[in-house]
Amino acid sequence: MNILICISCVPDTTSKISFKDNDTKFNSEGVQYIVGPYEDYALARAVELKEKDNSIHISVLNVGLKDNDPLLRKALAVGADDAFRINAFPDNSIHVANQIASFIKENSFDLVLMGKESIDFNSAQVHYLTGSILNIPSLSPVTELNLNIKEKTILIKKEIDDGIETLEVVLPAVLGCQEPIAEWKIPNMRGIMNARIKPLKVLEPCDNEVKVNFSKFSVPEKKENIKIIDENNIDELIEELKLKNL
Amino acid sequence: MSVLVFLEFSNDNLKETSKQALTYANSIDDNVYGVSDSDLDDNSMKSLGSFGVSTYLKFSGSFDERNILNCIVTSIKDLKINFLIFPKSNTYLKVSSILSIKLNFSLVTNVVSVPRFKKNIYVKSLIFSGKAESEIEINSDSCIFILNKNIINISSFNKSVLIKEIIDNTNRLYPVKIFSIKKEKIEGDILLNDADIVVSAGRGLKGPENWKMIEELAKELSAATACSKPVSDAGWRPHHEHVGQTGLKISPTIYIAVGISGAIQHLAGINSSKIIVVINNDADAPFFKHADYGIIGDAFDVIPKFINALK
Repeated sequence: MNILICISCVPDTTSKISFKDNDTKFNSEGVQYIVGPYEDYALARAVELKEKDNSIHISVLNVGLKDNDPLLRKALAVGADDAFRINAFPDNSIHVANQIASFIKENSFDLVLMGKESIDFNSAQVHYLTGSILNIPSLSPVTELNLNIKEKTILIKKEIDDGIETLEVVLPAVLGCQEPIAEWKIPNMRGIMNARIKPLKVLEPCDNEVKVNFSKFSVPEKKENIKIIDENNIDELIEELKLKNL
Repeated sequence: MSVLVFLEFSNDNLKETSKQALTYANSIDDNVYGVSDSDLDDNSMKSLGSFGVSTYLKFSGSFDERNILNCIVTSIKDLKINFLIFPKSNTYLKVSSILSIKLNFSLVTNVVSVPRFKKNIYVKSLIFSGKAESEIEINSDSCIFILNKNIINISSFNKSVLIKEIIDNTNRLYPVKIFSIKKEKIEGDILLNDADIVVSAGRGLKGPENWKMIEELAKELSAATACSKPVSDAGWRPHHEHVGQTGLKISPTIYIAVGISGAIQHLAGINSSKIIVVINNDADAPFFKHADYGIIGDAFDVIPKFINALK
């Protein structure tokens, strides 16, 4: 059973977002990068499954630039077997999905796990796009994942707009993962040492036309001054919010 | 040029986000098609004219995984539709992705402005979980916009709706490989994503037994309830109520935060709310810096007073 985890490398959730070069580029100065929190859940679940059945092979893939290599090493330290990086800047979902799909076509994976969304561009669609390109099912956001290796099926729980659906899916499939699918894993010393000798391969991107570009960035205006209301005068708040006529 | 809007209904009523999408579509072009996978009677279809639908595409089937039909793709091509507008929802994130691949349309998510047409098309989109905005330049004349909630005021229209039936040619895009085992509906009348008002509470409430007053306040306001990550992690509230960086991202008209300090990860889930009210006994809680209204006080005193004032 081969599992592929696609990870995004994104600014830490506490990062202050700012731009440079006349607001045309992200200012990465002083920004700490992390494996996207949702992909961290996906990776953790795959490692849990491997701990139960060592026949599972976990590959991890990132579409991104060289600066991301330490984060791929971290994924190897958590428990992935090998890592791949497609050398392209990942600012367009269709572009990224095409890169991932062409990688999957050339290699063989039973199950592809991603996060529900990357926390930089938040399209929440790379998994659906990849599934559509490959003509295989894509499901998201998945909150529970169990594997039947013999039958090559999975049993998942997935959030839908008005509830939770339990599904059995014949593999291959692409999943967008979300907590509480697993607990995040912190690499231990042995994992970190082993990660140094595990393979990390860099691939060049396949050609595809990008029609959507980020032309200018801005940071939303700060809220104007807050109005403090006395707790004994809640009527004032209700009046301000016009809640009376609900 | 024509526009197709994917609509959503809740108990046969057109959802607010779909009305917003229709107003948005009319700002692009007069000729607006509507489609949904709800089973509507003739009157319901005709009533869509007042929200801006010119032609309703009637088809039987479901946008569900097993049934996203080629007939939608074929109709879009036949009718020369070049803009697809979706209100953001789990289902429509998927439908739009599949259509973008099958039709080779450009795709922009988290759209917060109407498009500007110059040599190329320009539209604004939220990025970095709402911490920033970007102007997107689209070098293509056919695209898909997925709209965030509350980005446009709903206009009323006076159109008479043409109903056009589209035929299911039953060719599935891919074979059935998914089997539904069971569906559990989320309890409560108001879904968090649809709610106009949300009452959210955090660790400041000290324990799950204290959520009664939050539920009561929500009921008085016809609001949905939500919570912060520590609360859902501790199992005090179900996971689907968790709003924040790794939970749900919502943009209600009014967001009321009770006993939540306002960590940056929580703000990422709610920063596109129109009005933010913060109730916290710590005057230094960072959330006050991002709020429109604040009450500095103990939730256990303030919330009962709030409920009483509403009654």
